[in-house]
Amino acid sequence: MAHIWPIGGGKGGTGKSFLTGNLGILLAKNGYRTLLVDIDFGTANLHTVLGIPHPETSISDFINKKVGTLEETVVTTAIPNLYFISSALNSLDITNIVHEQKMRLLRSITKLPYEYILLDLGAGTSFNTIDFFMISNSGILVTTAEPTSIENIYRLIRSVYIRRIRQELKVHNFRVLAEEAKTRDSRATEQNPEILLYIIKEIDPERGRVVEQSLRGFEFKLVLNQLRKQDDPNIGALICKIIERHLGLKIHFIGNISFDDHVHSSICKKMPFLHIYPYTQTASDIRRCYENMVSLKETQLCIHGVAE
Amino acid sequence: MNPFRKQNHYELLEISPGASPMEIRRAYKNAFELYKDESIVSYSFFTPEERKEIIAGLEDAYLTLINPESRAEYDRTLIASGAVEEEAPYYHKTRDPISIYDLRKTHADMIGPRRRTEDLKHVVSHNKLIQEIMSQDSLTGADLCKIRKELGISLEKIAEETNIRISMLRAIEGDDFDSFPPMVYLKGFLKSYARYLQVDEHVIIDGYIKRVGKQHS
Repeated sequence: MAHIWPIGGGKGGTGKSFLTGNLGILLAKNGYRTLLVDIDFGTANLHTVLGIPHPETSISDFINKKVGTLEETVVTTAIPNLYFISSALNSLDITNIVHEQKMRLLRSITKLPYEYILLDLGAGTSFNTIDFFMISNSGILVTTAEPTSIENIYRLIRSVYIRRIRQELKVHNFRVLAEEAKTRDSRATEQNPEILLYIIKEIDPERGRVVEQSLRGFEFKLVLNQLRKQDDPNIGALICKIIERHLGLKIHFIGNISFDDHVHSSICKKMPFLHIYPYTQTASDIRRCYENMVSLKETQLCIHGVAE
Repeated sequence: MNPFRKQNHYELLEISPGASPMEIRRAYKNAFELYKDESIVSYSFFTPEERKEIIAGLEDAYLTLINPESRAEYDRTLIASGAVEEEAPYYHKTRDPISIYDLRKTHADMIGPRRRTEDLKHVVSHNKLIQEIMSQDSLTGADLCKIRKELGISLEKIAEETNIRISMLRAIEGDDFDSFPPMVYLKGFLKSYARYLQVDEHVIIDGYIKRVGKQHS
């Protein structure tokens, strides 16, 4: 079964596609059969980062049923072992895929025969993005050291948290419990999922435990990208600490990646960064992050809520 | 883990019940950095009211634990509620600074300069030959040499300990007036020599200089 790494982070421009592309290259170089999927349907970029400006097929061929299986939309890249599903040629209305199409896509992704599947998610915290992020328990979050980006990380994490509570308590149960929680403590709203869960545990200990157990299954990873020299290098670790402490979610800090203007030039040249600037500090940061990620014990792939 | 708002002071500051005042101070400082208004890390994570509540909690925890009296009282309530083991609190294993008395004691156990000087003094005051020489009106180099040999100390040893050149020491003991340094230095050398042998430096200097003075000047 494939390891699925969804790469998200709320805010745009933090380096999700950049990281996806370069991690994919490292995985492929280390001999893993790797597939990159651009899930950023509306504003796809991954093909450019990889240096494939005009991919022949795209994910919309599968969604619009032009082809029968998702496999048929895979294109090869110049790098051995690295495969790619693009969103470059998507029709303009694809951003709003309906629930049924999304479920079909999620199921198909988990069945693809690769060792690693990396999903490059779009910005935002729409249900679409959240559901792809929750396709596995070990989602990767990318942030910069700016408050705008950090607040979006928290927003995304809380959305995932509340989505998992909703999944665990079937729709009806959730409504009843949430209503009752609100009457007990005015703060127990969906904006404060941690307080909500705490009150739910008091009302219904058994269901509360089930939800809590399920939340404990997450093992997120955090990468702090574009770290400038003047930034505090501990920010990433502290973000993880605050999430673990106040939300009770497990999140590993993977590492910092230094800011480098060469990234800009590599994107302008439409060439993979690791190929043209392999000896920069940023390149070695990426390699170190890659090693930390691979060495982390993979939790069982979880396609929670997808099957229903 | 307890939900955040139900944590006790130690859990809040993320320290053990055995933490020292220094650790408490550091923990408070770190926690404050993380939760203060300007913190970039906790930005948007809390509402202003939540933040206020957390900061107030941290301050309360810090002020309670940093004062030994209020800490002891707080620990008693924790122990009574079963949250903390009895042995854990800090004041049960307070480490006092090592007292000066202890230092002296360890020195006395060592074979050091102190032992040597006392032994020497003892020999000097009980040795008949040395007493006889010391009671003379004036002293020659040979007299000094006799005292030294009686005490069983080599010239090399004196040279090493006093940093006086061995040729100078030989000149003194051999009454080699031509090699003598100016009087001030000679007195200094005699003083070091006498002190090392633990004999009365005034007797040595006066007795020796008296004779040298006649011929040297």
